Amino acid sequence: MSLNPLPVNSSRLGGCTLTGAISVTSHIRDAVTVVHGPKGCSHHNASLLHATWLDNDRALLPELVSTGLSETEVIFGGEAALRQAIAKAAGRNSRAVFVLSTCIVETIGDDVEAVCSEEYGIPVIPVPTAGFLGGTFQDGVNNALIALAGTAGPCRRSAGVNIIGEMNLEYEIDENYAEIARLLSLLGLHVNLRFIHDITYDRISALGAAQLNILRSPSLVPVGEYLKDRFGTPFLPSFPHGLSDTLSFIASVAECCGIDGKGATEGERARQEELIAGFTDLRQSRAALDPSLSGPEDIRAAEELARALGFTPGETGHPVRLPVSAAVGTAGTRRMLHRWRRATHA
Amino acid sequence: MPECDNPLWPCAMTGAAACLAGFDGIAVVIHGSSGCYYYPTTLLHAPLHGTFILENEVIFGSEDRLLEVIGGLSKTGKRIAVITTCVPAILGEDIRSMLEGHDVILVDSPGFSGDIETGYAKALAILEPRTDPGSCGVNIDGVCMFDPFSAGNVQEMVRLFRMASVPVGTIFCQDRLENVHRAAPYTIGTNGDFASGTGEYLGGMLGFDAVRETFTRIGEVIDGSDIGPVLAELDHQEERVVQACDKYLHRYDPPVAAVFGGCSYATFAARVLNQYLDAEICSIGSRNSECDTTFPVARVAGLSQVRDLISAHSPDLVIGSSFERSVCGNAAFVGIIPPLRGSIRLFPSPIAGTNGTLSFIEQVLNACMNKKP
Repeated sequence: MSLNPLPVNSSRLGGCTLTGAISVTSHIRDAVTVVHGPKGCSHHNASLLHATWLDNDRALLPELVSTGLSETEVIFGGEAALRQAIAKAAGRNSRAVFVLSTCIVETIGDDVEAVCSEEYGIPVIPVPTAGFLGGTFQDGVNNALIALAGTAGPCRRSAGVNIIGEMNLEYEIDENYAEIARLLSLLGLHVNLRFIHDITYDRISALGAAQLNILRSPSLVPVGEYLKDRFGTPFLPSFPHGLSDTLSFIASVAECCGIDGKGATEGERARQEELIAGFTDLRQSRAALDPSLSGPEDIRAAEELARALGFTPGETGHPVRLPVSAAVGTAGTRRMLHRWRRATHA
Repeated sequence: MPECDNPLWPCAMTGAAACLAGFDGIAVVIHGSSGCYYYPTTLLHAPLHGTFILENEVIFGSEDRLLEVIGGLSKTGKRIAVITTCVPAILGEDIRSMLEGHDVILVDSPGFSGDIETGYAKALAILEPRTDPGSCGVNIDGVCMFDPFSAGNVQEMVRLFRMASVPVGTIFCQDRLENVHRAAPYTIGTNGDFASGTGEYLGGMLGFDAVRETFTRIGEVIDGSDIGPVLAELDHQEERVVQACDKYLHRYDPPVAAVFGGCSYATFAARVLNQYLDAEICSIGSRNSECDTTFPVARVAGLSQVRDLISAHSPDLVIGSSFERSVCGNAAFVGIIPPLRGSIRLFPSPIAGTNGTLSFIEQVLNACMNKKP
């Protein structure tokens, strides 16, 4: 039996817009997300978020309200159910309600924006999602970030830097954030806002204050462009992956912020050389890189790391497979090296 | 109105997948988007297939895509089962006609049509399970891949059947597909929420009393069976439970317990807690139906109802899923239903049979004692 029943290299694997949007809106602590669709859609996503939050030591549950569409609403329309669910969510002492639709709602033709535009006493913000009819998981993330950014007005510029579009379902999200914060601190910079990760609704108003936006990945460039148009904030398109990319990242941030980054870059280079010196035992390894779950930038970073270690990865059929992961910064590279050493042991 | 906060139970499509994916010999195809595909795949840990339809197939029709996927799977030698998700179910396409000429099982089980039990029952009914007078032994019922205890339950039932020299009939739903049509005449249950209704039901296997009664009936109807070793083990293990619980009660008051779950497991847990620990069952929060029990029962579909019940009764022991664990505060917690997130589960623990009750009581006592000062 095939254990990999997915179509290979297919655009069909983009995931659900709703899941992407919920991964963003559920990180506004004092807001409620209404999912306009069958209960199952909310359950699936609540269960997924529950699992990933527990993995990140957050023993909370997302605040989701489902309109619970059944066959009756599918036939006669679900706008009344949506109105009632928004009213219920608005009555929960929350600061805002985000309304996300599903593919079934898109198909039956409910006018979600019209229902959201009614008066509920607090902001009710529709986020363009429609399950797979709205695009992919990443489209859901981008749409949610743009919809939330639209609630922020202009504000006074500060010395801080925004982190944009962290992958809230990522296992090592906090470790990756800590590494970026550390790299920024080498230049004397601090994080203004994690947009959006575990913040309150009111904090969104600080979005325009940053002097630079750092995107988690290049797939967020439409969000970066939107923020550049809205607030005039430049952006870097990605967290750094691997050794040289991390050094380039420090230099780019310094240049964008008008800082002399030479000392910080050299200090980080020395740190990386020290790191490599601690893993020279891997030079003797007879192993191959396992690129199966990685993007091209991760593979490039892993190949560079192998070269720095002075060992040549073998053919992909080699029995010892070194896991290649999205190693963010020098700290992420260190964790990947420990996994490589583990792979040579077991 | 149907609105519900943080719905606690999966949809009918997931139930249909949980049923069909348990049979070796079926290739399950989720006819829908990748988003609908991912959830049952991650939940069931089964090699499901998908059509991964896109917007243009919603507009222009999904027939070509469906036939493409079925064509690819037709070379596997497996019977193909197609489960419809919400959007394909309302597009008005005649999927049955599309599939004419292919030996395909079609289950119209969109998420909006009900909860997991609805889809599970519908899919199983379409397979038309039936007994074969020539088959011997006893079927094992209620084995649903959604249930994290299902693998452990099967192992435990097979162990007990071996002890009693009882042949294992068909396992619903974790068996070869052809065995669906040659089930044994008798059936025992491990989880009544996922009953097949096939064969003469001899009883359940949740709790020592139920195991004892059911094996007594097995002994009466199965020629050549020897239930003596099972009953002897039951007596021995029940005595151990009694001693452990008595020791606990020597020192501590009985727990006040709120029990959440599917009706079958929840009533088992409440019964056992009451019987061996004199626990006060302040409420059973049933995920799926009004349970037939003397304990107070409420239907619980969303997380706010869980919160309300817990805050109304302040239990010091909560039985349920990791959803309940997230809102139970300082109460001791034991998981009996999915999702059971945030902990690593490698060993196939049972909840049915002798070892199932032992395992459950062991977890309860340890959880309660860990919360004591």
